[in-house]
Amino acid sequence: MQKLSPPKWADRFLEWYCNPKLLEAIQGDAYELFNRTTKSHSKRVANFRFVWNVFRFFRWSNIKRSPTPSPSPLMMYKNYLKVFRRGFIRQKGYSFLNVFGLAIGIACFILISLYIRDEYSFDRMHSKADRIYRIHEIFEAEGVGERSASQPFPVAEALLNDHGSQILKTVRLFNFQSPTLALSTIDNKKEFNETRLFFADSTFFDVFDFPLVQGDPKTALTVPNTIILTESMARKYFEDENPIGKFLKFQGTQNFLVTGVLEDIPNNTHFQFDFLASFATLHDVYDPSVPERWHWYWNPCWTYLLLKDERAATELQAAMPAFVQKYFPEFVRNDVSMELVPLTDIHLKSNMDYEIQPNGSLTTVFVFASIGIFVLLIASINFINLSTARAAKRAKEVGMRKTLGSQKTQLIVQFLFESILLSLLSVVLALLMVVLALPFFNLFAEKNIGLLVLLEPFYIVLLVLLTLGVGIVSGIYPAFVLSSFKPITALKANASQEKGVLFRKALVVVQFTLSIVLLIGTGVAVDQLDMLQNSNTGFTKENVILIPILRSPIAKNYMSLRNEILRNPNALSVTAMEEVLGAKHQVGNFLFEGMEASRPFPRLNIRHDFVKTFDIPLVAGRDYSEDIRADDSLALVVNETFVRQMGWPTNESAIGKKFGDRSLGRIVGVVRDFNFTSRHQPIRPLVLRLNTADDAFQVMLKYMAVRISGEDVAGTISWIEQQWKAQMPGWPFDYFFLEDDLEKLYKTENKMSKITLIFSGLSILVACLGLFGLSTYSAEQRKKEMSIRKVLGGSDSEIFLLFSKHFFNLILISNVVAFPLAYLLMKGWLASFAYQVNINFGLFLLAGFAAVAIAFLTVSYQALRAAHSNPAEILKAE
Amino acid sequence: MKGNNLGELEELILLTVGILYKKAYGVAVMDEIEKQTGRTLNISAVHAVLQRLEDKGLVISEMSEPTGERGGRRKRIFILTAAGKKSLEEANELRNQLFNQIPKIAMSVGGLKFQV
Repeated sequence: MQKLSPPKWADRFLEWYCNPKLLEAIQGDAYELFNRTTKSHSKRVANFRFVWNVFRFFRWSNIKRSPTPSPSPLMMYKNYLKVFRRGFIRQKGYSFLNVFGLAIGIACFILISLYIRDEYSFDRMHSKADRIYRIHEIFEAEGVGERSASQPFPVAEALLNDHGSQILKTVRLFNFQSPTLALSTIDNKKEFNETRLFFADSTFFDVFDFPLVQGDPKTALTVPNTIILTESMARKYFEDENPIGKFLKFQGTQNFLVTGVLEDIPNNTHFQFDFLASFATLHDVYDPSVPERWHWYWNPCWTYLLLKDERAATELQAAMPAFVQKYFPEFVRNDVSMELVPLTDIHLKSNMDYEIQPNGSLTTVFVFASIGIFVLLIASINFINLSTARAAKRAKEVGMRKTLGSQKTQLIVQFLFESILLSLLSVVLALLMVVLALPFFNLFAEKNIGLLVLLEPFYIVLLVLLTLGVGIVSGIYPAFVLSSFKPITALKANASQEKGVLFRKALVVVQFTLSIVLLIGTGVAVDQLDMLQNSNTGFTKENVILIPILRSPIAKNYMSLRNEILRNPNALSVTAMEEVLGAKHQVGNFLFEGMEASRPFPRLNIRHDFVKTFDIPLVAGRDYSEDIRADDSLALVVNETFVRQMGWPTNESAIGKKFGDRSLGRIVGVVRDFNFTSRHQPIRPLVLRLNTADDAFQVMLKYMAVRISGEDVAGTISWIEQQWKAQMPGWPFDYFFLEDDLEKLYKTENKMSKITLIFSGLSILVACLGLFGLSTYSAEQRKKEMSIRKVLGGSDSEIFLLFSKHFFNLILISNVVAFPLAYLLMKGWLASFAYQVNINFGLFLLAGFAAVAIAFLTVSYQALRAAHSNPAEILKAE
Repeated sequence: MKGNNLGELEELILLTVGILYKKAYGVAVMDEIEKQTGRTLNISAVHAVLQRLEDKGLVISEMSEPTGERGGRRKRIFILTAAGKKSLEEANELRNQLFNQIPKIAMSVGGLKFQV
């Protein structure tokens, strides 16, 4: 009978929660009742009653709590603060490393998050942004053609007409697809080539919310030959005078009346502009008397739709195939499809041909986000490492506090309090760094981010979370480890101080792995960029001057201007062409032998001597010749990819192939493949079309290209300018070097590699700060051991090696982990490029070696100190 | 601590502690109350009230010798303190005083005749 015992778990539960002072009496009573019940009832009833009683005893007055009332919390915090301050001041070096390292990490993180936030803020300033869509035209046959961000002229009207139930407003932007357009004051005193001028429908302000300082948004763009301009442009042309009612001369021929002044356009819009001219002005370009089909073929108008609601987008998208069939000319109908893209997605997600300006990219955002997180992680690890290392020194303090009656929870609170305070200091320092660094960051990230952003609730919450998060994570390990020390062991010298070594080692490995990955990543990114920019594009881009000529009066004077320019021996060759070679192309429909219907092909309109000017080798046939007049219409030159795509066996066999509706034309030449767009894309088929018509300069020939010898560049340019002025008086002369312009193609990568370079450098710096702190700590710990070794005959170098050995092992492990990780990450990144640099394994070794070398320098300071210390000095104490 | 007033259960248990002189511990108090009044209390309630009385200084406790039926655990024996005795007396006195003030007539017939 007596052997029966109540359920163990309930008994244990009672023992767990019950105040030890009350436990014996309570447990005794519970047992007594249990024994009594077993005599009169079944075991089950007894068990049940016991459990019931245990639960009934579970009340506030019986629960284990601190037996002595603790001093007022506020008083304790004062004490913690005092102890913290003393510790901070006594170990200045440590404290500085700790706070500074974390501050760098947080500052990097904040800067990067500012960048990303800005990228995501694009085009969101418009009140109707969620209902504005841009419609893209994808015009491809068998994968060749164009993915155009712009549309033919009549698309907007037709859409509004057919789908008025879904579309509220449409607005078109047009700029002749010209890089620059000339503007001047009436007296020609100020004349500039403007790059940011668009013609816009009068509905512009119904769709977008750009604020007007002067003028009425309803009427500013309704009448032909009117223009509005931004405040800074108003100052540029009219200085302090009121621009309203004044005139600006457009392309030297038309006078535009200024009807409004805009606030300057914010940086975070996917199209930047300084001038908007009324679309109604364009009746000569968009002339209804031109055969209808060409209106639906040429697609230079960026077309935006304001929809009734978001649902309308899906409906509209579904109606697009029918729309294309209804309106587009027969020969392109089956190759065209339409795509609606939300305005707010354009900046990060749209990467079409003919974007108004280069957009951002989601990849860059991801890369930056991961760098930001990496750096923050490295810095936090640092902080955790140094905090734990430092805390281990405080075992004695913990022992003392415990002896004097500190509770475990109190100690935990104390350590957490200290680490949160420390991280708060870092956050404050980080904010200071951000304030100082932001102007520079803005400069090279090409942003215009204001400091006030940091006062947004998002950042305030982020900073608070960061402070608490890093503080708690870094404090939690020492807090729990130290607070669980037994006072006796803690007070005994040197006991338990080696706790957490493995933990710290693991963290150092993580830290260096991340740093090495960042280093390798930066290296590969730089390599890739270098490859994109500097590898052979297949044409000569050096010493080529481009002069914008679109819609200039050059047509009549082209030949004489060319001949005049060529009189200078340093001007080697002159041609004209449709787009900047190597950056952009247009698309034209061609019908070649063996094809049933015409198909779109990338195309460039050119003038004679194109091949010569750019040094593009002919692989078959001949170049266009000035002696054969019919070349203008009956001959074409194509590239090698074109020949391959057509399935013709050799380049030679392409010569003489017929083209055109009546098969009158012949292919006369094949040029070697060259990169006529950026190397983000592979080389596609290309048709080079000679166009000597005068009106080609209205739309199809945008630049005059002059190849110069490279000697006396300034003299040659001023010679060209003289000839220009003589042939076209009153027309601004503008030029740029092809080479410089092509660099812009890789701006995104350039910016990205710069930023990664800086941040990976910082990450290494932070990791080294951490390593330095740890080696200092370790030197401190082992100074007696080292001294004894010395006394017993250890040489300086042995001690040096012994000391630095285990740090090296960590770095080596980091390398082993980092290499495959970096390889996989970079493979993934490179996959998005058409041309990929071979990942250079030398780079891996270099990064690994750099990490080892930097770590070596960091550690060796302490190692040398340990080796050179005087044992007598160190051992005399004790 | 809210005054020196005794609650009804507190008074009952305090009285029982007095009755059980030197044998008053949780289970005994519970049993005694059941025997004398027929009220069944849960043991935890008894403990809670005893603790409260001890907090008020009306009883003190000490641990007894260990006994077998409790798995060798000691009992916490509660003893009336002078203050405890005093407050019992006061309570008793107050009750008597009030009781004595009830008019005789109310006690004999008045209450019964009164129509509810």
